[in-house]
Amino acid sequence: MSDRSLTQTEVSLNPLSSERVNITIDGISLSVPKGENVIEAALNAGIDIPYFCYHPRLSKGDAANCRMCLVEVASTAPDGSVRKMPKPQTACTLPAAEGMIIDTNTEKINKDRKGVLEFLLINHPLDCPVCDRGGECPLQNNTLYYGASASRFTEEKRHYPKAYPLSAQVVLDRERCIQCARCTRFTDDISGDAQLGLLKRGSDVEVGTFAHTSFNSKFSGNVIELCPVGALTSRTYRFKSRPWDLMTQKSICSKCSNGCNIKLDYRMDEVLRVNARLNEDVNEEWTCDRGKFGHDYISSPDRLKSPLMRKDGKFVEVSWHQAYSLLADKLRAAGTNCGAIAGGRTTNESVYLLQKLFREILGSNNLDCRLDSNPLPASDPLFKKSLQTGMGNKIADLEKMKTIMVIGSDLQDEQPILFLRVRKAWRFKGAKVVYVSDHLTTDSTAVSDFASVNLIYQPGSEITVLKDLENALARVLSANTADSEPPAQLNTQPSEATGLSNNDIHLAASLLAKGEITIIAGKSVSQHSQYVELYQSLTNLLASTNSEGNLNIPVHECNSLGTMDMGMLPGSGPGFTKCAGGMGTAEMLQASADGNLQVLWVMGADPVQNFHNNELAVRGIENCPFLVVSELTLTETAKRADLVLPAVSIAEQEGTFTSCEGRVQKLFKAFEPVGSSKPDWLIVAELSAILGAKNLYFTFNDVLQSISKEVPGYEKINPGTIGDQGIFRTVPAAG
Amino acid sequence: MAILNLLFEHRDVEGIGNIDVWEANGGYEGVRKAAALEPQVIVDEIKTSGLRGRGGAGFPTWIKWNGLPKNYDAPHYVLCNADEGEPGTFKDRELILKIPHLLIEGMILAGFATYSKVGYVYIRGEYVEPAWQLRKAIDQAYAKGYLGKNILGTGRDFDIYIHMGAGSYECGEESALMSSLMGERGNPRLKFPHAPLPTVAGVWQAPTLINNVETYCAAAWIIKHSGEEYAKYGTEKSKGTKIMSVSGHVARTGNYEIEMGTPLMELLNMAGGVKDGVLKAVIPGGSSVQIMRPEQCEKINLDYESCGANGTLLGSGGFMVFNDKTDIVQLMRRTSQFYMHESCGKCTPCREGTRWLFKILDRIASGNGQKGDVELLLDVCSQIDGRSYCGLGDAAAWPIVGAIKAFRSEFDYWIEHKRSPIGNTFVPPVVEAVNPVLALTSV
Ligand SMILES: Cc1cc2nc3c(=O)[nH]c(=O)nc-3n(C[C@H](O)[C@H](O)[C@H](O)COP(=O)(O)O)c2cc1C
Ligand code: SF4
Ligand code: SF4
Ligand code: SF4
Repeated sequence: MSDRSLTQTEVSLNPLSSERVNITIDGISLSVPKGENVIEAALNAGIDIPYFCYHPRLSKGDAANCRMCLVEVASTAPDGSVRKMPKPQTACTLPAAEGMIIDTNTEKINKDRKGVLEFLLINHPLDCPVCDRGGECPLQNNTLYYGASASRFTEEKRHYPKAYPLSAQVVLDRERCIQCARCTRFTDDISGDAQLGLLKRGSDVEVGTFAHTSFNSKFSGNVIELCPVGALTSRTYRFKSRPWDLMTQKSICSKCSNGCNIKLDYRMDEVLRVNARLNEDVNEEWTCDRGKFGHDYISSPDRLKSPLMRKDGKFVEVSWHQAYSLLADKLRAAGTNCGAIAGGRTTNESVYLLQKLFREILGSNNLDCRLDSNPLPASDPLFKKSLQTGMGNKIADLEKMKTIMVIGSDLQDEQPILFLRVRKAWRFKGAKVVYVSDHLTTDSTAVSDFASVNLIYQPGSEITVLKDLENALARVLSANTADSEPPAQLNTQPSEATGLSNNDIHLAASLLAKGEITIIAGKSVSQHSQYVELYQSLTNLLASTNSEGNLNIPVHECNSLGTMDMGMLPGSGPGFTKCAGGMGTAEMLQASADGNLQVLWVMGADPVQNFHNNELAVRGIENCPFLVVSELTLTETAKRADLVLPAVSIAEQEGTFTSCEGRVQKLFKAFEPVGSSKPDWLIVAELSAILGAKNLYFTFNDVLQSISKEVPGYEKINPGTIGDQGIFRTVPAAG
Repeated sequence: MAILNLLFEHRDVEGIGNIDVWEANGGYEGVRKAAALEPQVIVDEIKTSGLRGRGGAGFPTWIKWNGLPKNYDAPHYVLCNADEGEPGTFKDRELILKIPHLLIEGMILAGFATYSKVGYVYIRGEYVEPAWQLRKAIDQAYAKGYLGKNILGTGRDFDIYIHMGAGSYECGEESALMSSLMGERGNPRLKFPHAPLPTVAGVWQAPTLINNVETYCAAAWIIKHSGEEYAKYGTEKSKGTKIMSVSGHVARTGNYEIEMGTPLMELLNMAGGVKDGVLKAVIPGGSSVQIMRPEQCEKINLDYESCGANGTLLGSGGFMVFNDKTDIVQLMRRTSQFYMHESCGKCTPCREGTRWLFKILDRIASGNGQKGDVELLLDVCSQIDGRSYCGLGDAAAWPIVGAIKAFRSEFDYWIEHKRSPIGNTFVPPVVEAVNPVLALTSV
């Protein structure tokens, strides 16, 4: 429970002073917030100051080490006299002050820059021709612009063995490292696992892990992008390509619901690496390792390339025409006796058309997208209310809260980007964190590391814990006391079953009492058998602290929320409108197991692997009279299908995902689908046309426009507005 | 002007490390006196004395003492810099070893003056014996009520802790010392105007006072006697005394406490003059300052003004004397090896530059110098000096620039003739430093 306060680590992205000061950079007069970093003031004004170690999101305390951003500084006294500072100063740490005069382009500074670059290069291997960074390397670029053309160093360079395995994903080349401490600061400031450090001293300084620890951070991939040279490289991308041989397309990560903006770097139809794409309101410039290294499935050799039909127990490749004919026949024969399960991994467009096909053309209401055990029936108003909103706060707003309570979630694992935001709120914005869970994780970074109080209760006693907390909060609020020790009159024993101390409960309550709070609840809350009681307690806590609406129960898959928005729920149509009820996932599997469901269509889901009741899933899937699966590869479910339709990945289609915070974001198409695979929405659209649909859809835009017209909450979303940073859908009133 | 034993007054008294002997010789009178004084009066007394920091930079001490918030609302810290890493300097060692109570007194007074309750002595790891002496002295001071809670009934508290360094010159740099004290890597931290002054946000972001051992000892003397008394000694801008650690080619090496302004040659004579030859050079203030030729030495008085006017510094008082058998190039080679080894590696110019400087000097001093090497050395020095993160970079560059200025012909000789102008062609091999393991046995 460290409350380690920051030492000299205020980052420049803290709210700047409202006071403004007048400074002059290269003769240009600027009015900037007092205390703003001079380098930022200059860069904002379009004046280039080269740098390596500076980074706006990392703490200043360990910056200013590369000395590349030196500028000449003079100050103006109130009487108008100008005094020059004798030594050049680092612009990346210098706070702007009234009357400051900065010169970035003098003869002296140009010589200093040459000097720093010469120093950096004397021990640098200069293996640019085979270096991953070559072509996008700040060291190359700055040398080209500011460096000397020749070195005067004739001695032997410093040598190390080349590829040092820092972790399963990251490889270190110590010769190329310029000791800028960006990677070590990242693990301190951002991810929080503090697994990288600088070892040794002087010219022997090297990046490494500490004794008996390894670099197994869940966010390790970010340091590859942060490194201003090719010292940290990705094991999967190493020596694969030169940056200029790569095409880049904007995309959205498909690995969790947080909706990280990413860039796919690809060549032909192979995605070679994934980099973060800046979105200040979502992932800033980070990704988690699942997102960075987990997209190899896109270019997997196992991808399905044509439809597969089961003949005599074996799959044979067939044409789309054969596949559609068979499926259309089966669906016609089944009448309303069919159903569909779509996971949270397909686009809004696909599910939208899928539910339209079933509801409007086939007349079946058997639709669902839930594989997790869910305590509430989809028709329950609370289910709709809490899932419709998913998150009461926007991700970016989490950092504005005074107190953040995280309950029942290994946040770093379940919601990595939310975790980073919560940590940022604590580390850079002074938020206090209360962590409530029935266990502590062994992960290298976790909310419990920085929470002011950890309420680790006996498993099963969560209802009591929250009741105790509610009572303690009421007492604190009425007594108007928020000390760390409960005063005698408030000293009531908490329920024994929880295993928590009165002090801890009181401390947590005191923190909650302090101001606007937000609560993030994880899987163990949303899947809890007494979800209703927990939900009630959490809303009570929020109500008594004037924080109504700040309840966040984020969904888990990249388009879980969108899939539900599109109406992939029994009895709940697009935008959660009420409609005729039907079977849910469990009922469909049961019916199918009993031979009572003629056709089951599984799209982008793997019930055999992921349904909470595995035994039922296997029976349902295996006994289904006709099972059609649209998928990327032969999953356990697809292996048992009668017809498998090859779908495409995020790289090969346009589409939209709705993230856990309700942000609708666009996938851009990078390359053509592999083989004859097709986007799910196109498969459904073509089949619908065969089955006599009146509305025909030929492009992604057609579908999105239709969504915009027909799905409550998505009115503002259309190809013209969505942009590359996404926009929020509105939350439809509970129906 | 000559030897003036103010701080060393009782240095040679038998058993002076013991608190009873110390008290019998007027010890802790200053603390008793200060117990009745307002903190501001103590600060003003230091101001009157004109005392300047003895750690090297010579910063007016009272300004630091005056800079901390004047209340007990939040913790403040008093740090004593006993890292004494500057080659040629060994005065703090003797002060702590022989008269540890003087330092303790000084820190207690600083605690009173700056509303601090906690003091740390950051002592270099090699100073095992002095650390033990200090430990004993601190224990005795606790037993007598000079340390701990409610000192002498004043209601003021003060505790002193000892922190042993781990063998790094850089950890004597005040901000790196704070990093090290906090358990972080011994890297320096941002300075004003990039970050608040230590007196506002120092160690643990709390207001912090940091001074050298000798500075605290002088402060103790000043409060016991008076600021005016101290200011009677010395020159206009350099008051009182300075302890000079005399070493090298002299007859009697050791610490000499002299009045500020004493002519350099006088100190040399007091130390018995040059040994085994005639005077070739003096480094007056520790390895980081510029080396002086004999004709310059004639002109220098040992005070801040005169040293500065002659292009060198009084520094920490590491007074090193060299006779005419000294090879200046080899001296610089060894000096630069020290800075290369001690660079913390944080910033580019010092990390890369010190190594490069050493490599060039090593090349010259092994007969592989090339035309243009001297200009290269000067240029590399200019790329380090004033461009590095902390003072160590500057300190690595100054002596080389100084040596080239004073003894350029010797560098040229080495480069041209591939051998030493002194006739001594023995080149010591590059020694990789081995860290000795400290054995903490009781003394
Ligand atoms: C590289 C470097 C090493 C230093 N080492 C010491 C040291 O060992 N002892 C010391 O007292 N001051 C040392 N200093 C000076 C301190 O930074 C600081 O100026 C001093 O402790 C302030 O005390 P004073 O005001 O009493 O002189 C060093 C400075 C630098 C740049
Ligand atoms: S890091 Fe940059 S300069 Fe160094 S080898 Fe790689 S591309 Fe070249
Ligand atoms: S590995 Fe890269 S990011 Fe880390 S210190 Fe070296 S150069 Fe900087
Ligand atoms: S000058 Fe730079 S590398 Fe040298 S000790 Fe200071 S911070 Fe470290």
